[in-house]
Amino acid sequence: MSQKSAKGAGGGAKAAPKGKKAAASGKKVARLEDEREETLQAVILADSFETRFNPFTLETPRCLLPLANTPLIEYTLEFLAMSGVADIYVYCGAHTAEVEKYLQQSKWYPPTSSASPFNSLEIVKTTAKSVGDALRDLDARDLITGDFLLVHGDLVSNLPIDGALAAHRKRRLADKNAIMTMILRDGGLHGHRGKSNGITPVFVVDPTKDRCIHYEEMHALQANKYVNIDPDLLNEHSEIDIRTDLIDCGIDICTPDVLALWAESFDYEVPRRHFLHGVLKDYELNGKTIHTEIVGDHYAARVFNLQSYESVSKDVLARWTYPLVPDSNLLDNQSYKYESGGLCKENGVILARTCKAGKRTVLGRDTSIGDGSRVVDSIIGRRCVIGKNVSIKDAYIWDDVSIGDGTIIERAIIANEAVIGKDCHLEPGSLISYNVKISNGTNVRAGTRLTRGNRKQEDGTKSDAPSDPSLVGQGGFGHAFEDPDEFSDDESSAFHSNMVYSTAHLNISSESISTVSSEISTSSPTTSRSRLSSFASDDADGGNNENFHHDAVEGLLGTLRENGDFDSAKLEFMGLRLSNNATDQQIRRAIAVAFTKRISQLVENDKLEASKAAAQAFGVSGADRFIKNVAIGDEGLEDDQVDFIYRLQKDLVHRNNGAVILAAISQRLYQMEILEEEAFERWWTECEGLEDEDEGMKKVREKTAVFIEWLRQAESESESGEEDSD
Amino acid sequence: MPSLSTGYAPNLGVFLKSLKSQQLEASIENLISLLKRRQIKNSRPCAIATAHLLLRVVARFKWTDVGKLLERIQEVGQRLIQAQPREMVVGNIVRRVLGMIRDEAKEDRNEDASDSASNSQLSSPKRQSSDLGHLRNAGGPPTAFSPLRFDSKDVVQAMDSNSDDSFGSKSSANHRPPLITSHTSYAVTNNVPVQHSMFNLLSAMPSPLATPPGVSSPQGRSSVNMSSVAHRAAASSNDLKAEVISGIEEIIDELDQVDEQIASYAQEHIHSNETILTHSSSRSVQKFLLKAAEKRKFTVIVAESYPNDHEATHAAVAGKSKSSLDDSDDMDSDTFLKPLPKAGITVIQVTDAAIFAVMSRVNKVVLATHAVIANGGLIAAAGARGIAKAASFHKTPVIVVSGVYKLSPEYPFEFESLIEYGDPGSIISYHDGPLVDSVEVDNPVYDYVPPHLVDLYITNLGAHAPSYLYRIVEDHYKAEDTNFHNPEFQY
Repeated sequence: MSQKSAKGAGGGAKAAPKGKKAAASGKKVARLEDEREETLQAVILADSFETRFNPFTLETPRCLLPLANTPLIEYTLEFLAMSGVADIYVYCGAHTAEVEKYLQQSKWYPPTSSASPFNSLEIVKTTAKSVGDALRDLDARDLITGDFLLVHGDLVSNLPIDGALAAHRKRRLADKNAIMTMILRDGGLHGHRGKSNGITPVFVVDPTKDRCIHYEEMHALQANKYVNIDPDLLNEHSEIDIRTDLIDCGIDICTPDVLALWAESFDYEVPRRHFLHGVLKDYELNGKTIHTEIVGDHYAARVFNLQSYESVSKDVLARWTYPLVPDSNLLDNQSYKYESGGLCKENGVILARTCKAGKRTVLGRDTSIGDGSRVVDSIIGRRCVIGKNVSIKDAYIWDDVSIGDGTIIERAIIANEAVIGKDCHLEPGSLISYNVKISNGTNVRAGTRLTRGNRKQEDGTKSDAPSDPSLVGQGGFGHAFEDPDEFSDDESSAFHSNMVYSTAHLNISSESISTVSSEISTSSPTTSRSRLSSFASDDADGGNNENFHHDAVEGLLGTLRENGDFDSAKLEFMGLRLSNNATDQQIRRAIAVAFTKRISQLVENDKLEASKAAAQAFGVSGADRFIKNVAIGDEGLEDDQVDFIYRLQKDLVHRNNGAVILAAISQRLYQMEILEEEAFERWWTECEGLEDEDEGMKKVREKTAVFIEWLRQAESESESGEEDSD
Repeated sequence: MPSLSTGYAPNLGVFLKSLKSQQLEASIENLISLLKRRQIKNSRPCAIATAHLLLRVVARFKWTDVGKLLERIQEVGQRLIQAQPREMVVGNIVRRVLGMIRDEAKEDRNEDASDSASNSQLSSPKRQSSDLGHLRNAGGPPTAFSPLRFDSKDVVQAMDSNSDDSFGSKSSANHRPPLITSHTSYAVTNNVPVQHSMFNLLSAMPSPLATPPGVSSPQGRSSVNMSSVAHRAAASSNDLKAEVISGIEEIIDELDQVDEQIASYAQEHIHSNETILTHSSSRSVQKFLLKAAEKRKFTVIVAESYPNDHEATHAAVAGKSKSSLDDSDDMDSDTFLKPLPKAGITVIQVTDAAIFAVMSRVNKVVLATHAVIANGGLIAAAGARGIAKAASFHKTPVIVVSGVYKLSPEYPFEFESLIEYGDPGSIISYHDGPLVDSVEVDNPVYDYVPPHLVDLYITNLGAHAPSYLYRIVEDHYKAEDTNFHNPEFQY
């Protein structure tokens, strides 16, 4: 990890006198806190370590994507300046150099700009691959001295934070364990465009103490719509709100203890689903409390995926974010003026006499619009050339785009320097990335994502994919964007395609979180969790204790991967089981998932044959005893065996080559005498007997038919053999 | 930087405090971003911030000549105006300072030309009430007078030829010292020898409501007069800079006292048993009414001005929470105002929709302003135009209460551009999510009220008809400063 840049260090030095003064004036006020806490620090997570903005983020860091012609991070910095933050640390993952360059040239950078309201602004370079890594790195650097704000680099908010800060202070003075205050926006009972579509956060809050006591996330696809609340909570709290209406704007007021907690739990990756959930769950252990500040006015939202990009853009156009609106001219070189009716335009815009531009529209400098064109509810950047009789609605067009005569654009995002030919039609949801050229008369179908950049391969080379004339027309440049992460994981792509139809049109987002480098994606705990939630539907008997499941699977996988000792794994596993009070079914599920996952990994990554992979996985020392004792139970009841096979089958539905693997596993387990032929027999007949058997389930067991057939034959042979011997 | 109890968020108080410690350039940028983020908003805080900033600019300015100083102030002013063109007071304060510097420079020049009677003949009686802010008690070194866009010869000629309109010399004032004492407390400035324009005197005659504008000092330092002026040539080693600085300080004093000065006219305009209609929460109007209530019993109908100001209005009526009364507005703690009912006023609060209905019982409408335009129209909190229109239908007189510092020489071509649009969040909440998607909600913060709907302006200088405002504009601002921020409009 590289150290902070020399310039950043210079900033710190320069900031020192200012800080002293601040402290001095603070003394007069005679606060209760000690002196070093007088300045407010903030950490910006400029990269959220996700790929939800692809294909645009291939070329540009996410926090520099323009929202209403102003880079996203400007809004965040405005918010922090508004809150009176003194020191800022910026963490970025991908495109660090670009972010650094941008910030150093901006008015926010204290060493070069006297306009900066901050004492220091430091870009921290890390190799972090997740939010968790970044925060653990921050903890190691020991930069944070007092309360700090943790925000994302895509926050748009005009919320005055003083009230929440004061409340946080008060709570912390009363109780040192009140480590964090989350600011949540009351989203109302009905749908609101600010709410996230794919995932519903569930906050369980004790309103008398503003304390968050439980947190869970629910998927739109999750059939099992239950939240599992510890009954003890009901005893301890006289009043509990369970709220799904809150918009999580990702503003957290944290004490340094928060970083320590991150550091302790090295497997947390994301702030909510892992950290918040985990800390609340372990309340008995660590005694830390996390509080909520639910605000009912002002604006706060994150631009965390393309859907929210659209909704926040609309909010900016409708002035919900006032005063962070285009005509406030946040950047020095902007000159927007607001005209009634909602047209916001910069100097130098050329409008033809018969064109209609207006109604919630932003036009950047030197953009020209030709005769008869209509532009509504859209944002158009600088130097765009829009031809005659063009119709643009709900579109977000960045700089230097040219659009030919007669083209129709609805609900699309078009990035810099793209060229759209004449008489094209961009259907809703089209994403046109940088420099793409679409030739005349092309129809871009809904949801198409076109790019010219190619995702960096793992070896670091950049290969240029050929243009796809069927998408961009003859003479066009660009090809469909394919996300390798997306397709390596059936689960998420299935989820993804579902989401497109079910909720939002611009959705790309609901992929499970995958990091910039694709290697982590398959084994990240997140993935397994989303996988789990999607088949929780047929798992009514208690898949709710997801933490147990998650921890157990991870533990077992680790053992399998390292060819470790199953005796110690067993100890750990039983400990987990006791502490979580897990049922036998859950145990079996966890074991089944762990093994199938390992085997499918072996098959996919190491290109082993399924049977060899199974042999390797089950060949780990002690594995056979472990499965026998723990998964099946010492008695070896047939019911339990059948259940275990079901679990295997269910899990394999979601994996590549599931059918082959199931056959291999069945064979292996039979050979190892873990499962008996009666169990297989019963399982098979039960499956056959099911009338409404799931398609996936059926497919998976197809390949096992041979094995069952073989079993049956062997049985009859042995029977006949027995008869013979009689 | 932390401030008293309000946490970290910067506001006017924090800004003023930071002025002393920060680099000048940083302070300018700081104010610009505060204006952009609306963390300093509304006329008074903007005016105070601008005046304090300009004070720093002048104080830090490396003295070469007046022309350079004017350029510098124009440059800063331009940036401030661009940051938030709808806060017109920012421009007003900058123009007042510019005008004051020009006056000082001119005076010095005249002083230089030294006591020659010829200058006094140039003078017209109109001039010199112009800048309340300028000072004469200190002499300045003779400094070349070179305004921005003319070379100095041209300027001299231009000034001489124009002197009937807008230039004169102080000697005219000096000829009339007796007027000093004849007026009470409308002005702000400390030691300005009173100047009177003949025009003012004449125009004041026909209207019993209009008080002849003049200048006198509440502080009683008004006796700076000929004798001190006479000493000036001797004292010319004193810096022009000091004069300018104390001139700006006077502007700041004016901003402090303006409400009291306006209120002092209250009893002339509000009579017993009248019914007054007002709207929104304005300190000026509140003080005005409270002052009247000291002697008279009357009824006030308050329209709540939903959605942008209704909470503050409720608080003003009920006197509940101080905090919602626009914290940033309150520089000192003694500005706490008694709620109207406590002062013995019968208060009726109505919704904005009921204005027309109650208008028939109303004797007078008192409006607060955001800014006043040279044509006599005004920018006020949204709803003001509806009230003014209803009043004109019922032939009810409309009185506008406003400090002179809100009076702007700008005359925009489209008044729409002066109207700020705020956050629709105060109109519909997130609970109406589906509505948010399907309906466009506009929340204009201000209204433009055309001059023909206004009957009388009450400023700290007295009462004036709308048609007369142009005169006050001319007295306060130099014509060459009117469009200093966008040179293409300058003649």
